[in-house]
Amino acid sequence: MKFPALKTYAIVYLIFLYAPIVLLPLFAFNNSKVIAFPLSGFTTEWFQMMWNDTQLFKAVKNSLIIAVSSSVLSTCLGVFAARASTRFNFPGKGSILGLIMLPMVLPEMIVAMSLLVVLLTIGMPLSILTIIMGHLLICTPFAVAILSSAFQSLDRSLEEAAYDLGETPASTFRLIVLPLVMPGIISSLLICFTISLDEFIIAYFLGGNQTVLSVYIYGQFRFPARVPAIMALGTVLVCLSICLLSIAEFYRRRGIARTGAKDTGGFL
Amino acid sequence: MTVSDKPTMIEFRDVQKYYGDYHALRGINATIKAGEFFSLLGPSGCGKTTLLRTIAGFEDISSGAVLIDGKDAAQIPPNKRPTNMVFQSYAIFPHLTVEQNVGFGLRRENLSKDEMGRRVGEALEMVGLKGFGKRAAHALSGGQRQRVALARALILKPKVLLLDEPLSALDKKLRENMQVELIKLQRQVGITFILVTHDQEEALVMSDRIAVMFEGQIAQLDDPETLYRRPKSRQVADFIGTMNFLPATAHPTSDGGFDVDVAGLGQCHIPADQAPGAATGNGVNVGFRPETLTILYEGQQPTDRETPGTVEEVVYYGDMTYYDVKLDGVAEPVRLSMRNVPGRPVLDIGTRTRVAWSPSALVLFR
Ligand SMILES: Nc1ncnc2c1ncn2[C@@H]1O[C@H](COP(=O)(O)OP(=O)(O)O)[C@@H](O)[C@H]1O
Ligand SMILES: [Mg+2]
Repeated sequence: MKFPALKTYAIVYLIFLYAPIVLLPLFAFNNSKVIAFPLSGFTTEWFQMMWNDTQLFKAVKNSLIIAVSSSVLSTCLGVFAARASTRFNFPGKGSILGLIMLPMVLPEMIVAMSLLVVLLTIGMPLSILTIIMGHLLICTPFAVAILSSAFQSLDRSLEEAAYDLGETPASTFRLIVLPLVMPGIISSLLICFTISLDEFIIAYFLGGNQTVLSVYIYGQFRFPARVPAIMALGTVLVCLSICLLSIAEFYRRRGIARTGAKDTGGFL
Repeated sequence: MTVSDKPTMIEFRDVQKYYGDYHALRGINATIKAGEFFSLLGPSGCGKTTLLRTIAGFEDISSGAVLIDGKDAAQIPPNKRPTNMVFQSYAIFPHLTVEQNVGFGLRRENLSKDEMGRRVGEALEMVGLKGFGKRAAHALSGGQRQRVALARALILKPKVLLLDEPLSALDKKLRENMQVELIKLQRQVGITFILVTHDQEEALVMSDRIAVMFEGQIAQLDDPETLYRRPKSRQVADFIGTMNFLPATAHPTSDGGFDVDVAGLGQCHIPADQAPGAATGNGVNVGFRPETLTILYEGQQPTDRETPGTVEEVVYYGDMTYYDVKLDGVAEPVRLSMRNVPGRPVLDIGTRTRVAWSPSALVLFR
């Protein structure tokens, strides 16, 4: 490389990015309640402690329900919006799309607060359902953005050809459009799932007495004795994320290879 | 049975099409016969694709009517029309195999697996893709995709096959081969073919009749020979091949023909059929195709008229040579073409020569 300063910067940057994640498993297996160097020995005690935590399981279950629901729902909405925006012209199209995309840049705090006010006013009890509604709001813009590019790259004449060969608009959508945008749908599901799983503010504001994973983990940091178990949990989450991303990427690439399309990035 | 005796397959009745303010089709009237190889020819943007798509049902028309086999097509959705289309981009379904692509239209017919396989095999064989069934469609070459698109459209035995510039993406050699194959295929299946092209040579080679379009209108609809030899307007003449235009005056005579005085070449008489655009008076034009003018070599006598001139430009094409000759008394040089045969040397620039021409070859324009 020509610029040694740039090289150094790149390395420092990567360390800054990934060192904390590497520390997770290090302390998860460290035989000490204190999170500090030097390491004192190997143990799997923290994993057992995590495994026996029923509160944690409840939080995980809530998080999974919320993440799966909001990713599926927002991807469905994204399919409709992306289809409409790439295929049809209608009055007010620009502003409608703008309004759909707005929550992407709106501070989550504002979304959470205003939703909370509305929910309290209409007297809707806070629950998993209200969290899902909030997450739907912030996930949909991402789904629309990802799916729009998938629908955009679809050749219009493919649909016309299927229609010309006797299929109805509905069967054309099922037989031609859906399989060809499938990589986009997988990307969208994955991104929305991750966003929802990570999300803290909305889940905290709108959760009522239902705790999700992010909120639970944050709460545990108040008890120093429980921190090593959190490290163990973090380690498990990192491993699961890597597995999930790899599987999804595999299917996405296979989908692209099968249609002979150019890989337009994805996110890995 | 000649084409003109056959029943009408497609009829356009004063078809108008607006895209917003843009007037894309401006009163199209034409009939296309059953079993005909019909071409829509015109420069890019003149409305050929739009007109073709009104037959397939992908464009609604603003007024007028399109009749397919005697029925008003307005009531028939595209998936119910007895037409199939080969798209300009071929529109091969990239996630399916060649076999699945070709058999796509048969899905609705609930055929047995054997019957389906047999029909697909037949269609593939017809377009010369036997044994390609299991290949992934996206891995095919341009020419192969084109054949898959053809087989896929023909497998439903439509009454009309619509082809939107099907050969424009192929290289020259392959294109010429496919032209011949398409003609053969059309004769074999006997289906009405409607071809859209901007390539005048392609249209002349392949078609029974050609509609030449400019700016949303049909300028002339004729068989290739009439179109080439008797174009109705300068615009058509210019678009189909090359033509020399010389200013002239013309006066109608009692036999329906014209007395024509061509500047620099002299007077002559032509019959009515050489003035399809019926023009009289001063400031009309006559047109000559390059191959109707001949350079006279030493000792050769003209069959009709001759005029002396000077060679100004020589373009050698192997089998042919094109000359620009400045005829004495004519302002603009004329382009003429000579077949290169033994004993007929290619002339140099500046050579004095004689050019033979015949009133029977000229066409009178406004
Ligand atoms: N969907 C459309 N919206 C607006 N204008 C269109 C549309 N489709 C075609 N046009 C216009 O109509 C004219 C004719 O188009 P087309 O039939 O595709 O021409 P051709 O096939 O002869 O090149 C062009 O000027 C084109 O810009
Ligand atoms: Mg076109």
